[in-house]
Amino acid sequence: MSQLVKLIIDGQDYEAEQDSLLIQLLIDKEIKVPYFCYHESLGADGNCRMCMVGIEGQKRPQIACDTLIKEGMIVNTKTDTIKQVHTDILELELINHPVDCPTCDQAGECSLQDFYMEYGLHSSKITIEEKVKHNKAIDLGSNVMLDQERCVLCARCTRFTDKITGTHELGIVGRGDEAKVTTMPNRPLSNPYAMNVVDLCPVGALTSKDFRFSQRVWLLESADGVCHGCAKNCSIIIDHNKLKYKDDTIYRFRPRRNDAINGFFICDTGRLSYRELQENRQETPLLDGVKISEDKAIEKAKELILLYKRNTSIIIDANLYTQEIEAIVAFAQEIGADVYAPLDIYRDEAFGDDMLRSSMRAANAQTIINMDINTQKPKKVGLILNFNHPEKFESAATINFLTHTRAETALTLPIATFTESSGSLTNEDGITQFSKKVIHKNIPVPTLIESLKRVSQ
Amino acid sequence: MRECQIVSRKFHIENACTLRVAKEHGAYNSLVKLKEYDPQHITQIIKESMLRGKGGGGAPAGMKWELMPLDDKKPNFLVVNCDESEPGTFKDRQIISKDPHLLIEGIILTCYAIKAKAAYIYIRGEYKEYQEILQNAIDEAYSAGLLKECDITIHRGAGAYICGEKSALLESMEGKRGHPRLKPKQKEPEWFFGNATLVNNVETIATVPFIVKNGADAYRAYGTEKSPGTLLFAMSGHINRPGVYEAEFGTNMLEYINHYGGGIKNGKKLKALIPGGVSCGVLTAKECEGLTLDYEALRSAGSSLGTGGMIVMDEDTNMLEALKNILEFYHEESCGQCTPCREGSGWSDKIVGRILEGNGTKEDLDKLFELADIMNGKTICVFAPSISTVLVSFISKFRDEFEAVVS
Ligand SMILES: Cc1cc2nc3c(=O)[nH]c(=O)nc-3n(C[C@H](O)[C@H](O)[C@H](O)COP(=O)(O)O)c2cc1C
Ligand code: SF4
Ligand code: SF4
Ligand code: SF4
Ligand code: FES
Repeated sequence: MSQLVKLIIDGQDYEAEQDSLLIQLLIDKEIKVPYFCYHESLGADGNCRMCMVGIEGQKRPQIACDTLIKEGMIVNTKTDTIKQVHTDILELELINHPVDCPTCDQAGECSLQDFYMEYGLHSSKITIEEKVKHNKAIDLGSNVMLDQERCVLCARCTRFTDKITGTHELGIVGRGDEAKVTTMPNRPLSNPYAMNVVDLCPVGALTSKDFRFSQRVWLLESADGVCHGCAKNCSIIIDHNKLKYKDDTIYRFRPRRNDAINGFFICDTGRLSYRELQENRQETPLLDGVKISEDKAIEKAKELILLYKRNTSIIIDANLYTQEIEAIVAFAQEIGADVYAPLDIYRDEAFGDDMLRSSMRAANAQTIINMDINTQKPKKVGLILNFNHPEKFESAATINFLTHTRAETALTLPIATFTESSGSLTNEDGITQFSKKVIHKNIPVPTLIESLKRVSQ
Repeated sequence: MRECQIVSRKFHIENACTLRVAKEHGAYNSLVKLKEYDPQHITQIIKESMLRGKGGGGAPAGMKWELMPLDDKKPNFLVVNCDESEPGTFKDRQIISKDPHLLIEGIILTCYAIKAKAAYIYIRGEYKEYQEILQNAIDEAYSAGLLKECDITIHRGAGAYICGEKSALLESMEGKRGHPRLKPKQKEPEWFFGNATLVNNVETIATVPFIVKNGADAYRAYGTEKSPGTLLFAMSGHINRPGVYEAEFGTNMLEYINHYGGGIKNGKKLKALIPGGVSCGVLTAKECEGLTLDYEALRSAGSSLGTGGMIVMDEDTNMLEALKNILEFYHEESCGQCTPCREGSGWSDKIVGRILEGNGTKEDLDKLFELADIMNGKTICVFAPSISTVLVSFISKFRDEFEAVVS
């Protein structure tokens, strides 16, 4: 741990670690300076030259991303000279920018737009009409689309594939104002984390093929969530909305910074998992493949449970919230059932890697282990109560509690998905996160705990 | 005018590029000193000679050599900068084609002083034929057993001006894009794959044998107090005998031009002169009067000595066209890494283009000054500030010509 030193920024006193990056302090303390190329996960590159600040004792403005904090440093971010530099460089940034915000997906979350508002170019000096032309819709691979004209060449994306994934698919070719981001022929962007470049890109140059044109970002609501794609439990932001005449819908998952778990990123599988989460939902109870009323289903379930008393096994999906698992275990004790959570089906060695992805593709497997729940397959029994476990086991009778439809004829009760209920998960490293209900359906599906309550009454 | 032959001594000897002829004329004689001197001593001599880097910046060479760690387990490297792409500059190619063994001799001495076992010569891609001559000389040196202590490898660039900037050069040698690196916070060597590295210009290294052989004083006997020694000055443009002629620092500029260059072509008058490659501010004929060729004199004239490659322009030169020509070069060659340069180089070129077409306005001129200001002191390397220098010097010194064509 480095020594703490004092410094003054815009007349205010601050304390920071000696030799730490000035720009990081400015960002952390929300002291506004424009910047494109710096990103905490990628470090300084110093190419955009936007983060200029005045340092007393230095003749020229300095870039904050390449300035190390020293004792007694006096920093100015708001003097007229510095503001002029910000405006000037921003203006240069815009010379060859198409300014097609109305059709740009980044609009609303674009740094260039934000800085433009902040450092307003009320009397723009731009007089050259003819801009350098580049390609506007290049499919880079992995759902990532590139608009070379919107690119500010901050090199965040190329640094990501160089430094973070080490896959080197993205590069900048050409010099001067002909420089552009690209991939090499027949070497598309293809790595399990590729779509993070869309979040890293400060402008609308990189967009997600999955998300583009689907919603304007200012119409979205953002909520915290946790990815259920594997035992890593990456923290995410769930972007959703409920427009008039429509149901509450998720449009994308984005990484939510969590230094203890996923840092700044998530994998593409997790990112795109919101899609299947909303598709083929089990919305009504079924018996022999035919819709029945909820009351009828509950009644039928109760009958079966009574009939097979002491001859019942309960199967738990290792993706359920801890509170749900606990409720199921308590219920099992009540009716004298055995509890299983077979984990083998979730193991996928090909999925795991040494970055984030775990080969245990179940979000709460750690809780199953912590609670000493039997992870073997159940022995053949009379009745099986399957709480959303992906496998089907042999038995005389079955009651399914399902989030998504299956080709099943057994008695089935619908239950809410993880975004429609609250609860906690513990990841493979023992870190627990709680998530609140985010999605409020027009016609809500009961949560697992609600259904269980009704069945056990 | 005193004849100087510190570097150019064998330039006019036929076949001096071969080892046999070069040896007949004293090549590799300085190597006997290696038996006498330890590495630090050689560096000390270079320091005392006050040899200044001949690649454009004029940084004291000895001080750079001293930054090299001598007791480190990691290897040290020498990289010789032969990218020579500054318009108006064509001196290094004289050395590698006329007297390549002088460079090899300098490399052997330098590697000994900085304890490097390997040297690379980064040569501009277009110098294919000179590269062959140099490679032959290296092969001969290997066969003669001269390169037992250090290896020499030629690394061919792909024709980007920016790769002459030392850190971009090293990035390029590491297999990356030729992008200048951020400046270090303190004095330190350059780094090649994380190993301490010395980068010097071809002519700087080619000067080393003379100094080691004859001593620091012998070198300081030429030139001025602050700019000792000589430089392969060169001339191009409207001059009767363009070419490379070695002269001592402090030589009178106009005398040099008349003596070696035979004066301005067709008996015309001098209008303007760019002293050392296009990155140096342009001088008017009047400013050239009485000016001497040394770092200090050119700095006080508001320009710089650069590489010593002078571009001479006669009275008929259209300064707008000259400026446009230079800006096109910068527009083409900006590495594109940092915003002010990437966008500013192209923008200023386009504005001057418009003025040249007769569509310029007075505001355009103001805009060029504003652009010069944005490009100055705000970029990763000094490429962009050079554009500023060019813009400001051309427009302010030849304002009438520019104002005459704008509305
Ligand atoms: C844009 C740019 C281009 C340069 N091109 C060359 C070059 O072609 N050859 C060269 O020796 N130095 C060139 N330099 C200077 C080098 O960065 C470096 O200072 C020099 O090679 C050091 O050698 P010296 O001290 O012996 O001069 C260039 C610098 C800049 C900023
Ligand atoms: S595509 Fe985006 S992230 Fe990549 S260099 Fe351009 S602006 Fe930066
Ligand atoms: S690594 Fe696992 S938890 Fe993280 S985003 Fe991917 S699937 Fe989700
Ligand atoms: S100033 Fe120009 S040449 Fe130098 S690093 Fe920046 S863009 Fe590249
Ligand atoms: S953030 Fe500092 S130069 Fe880009």
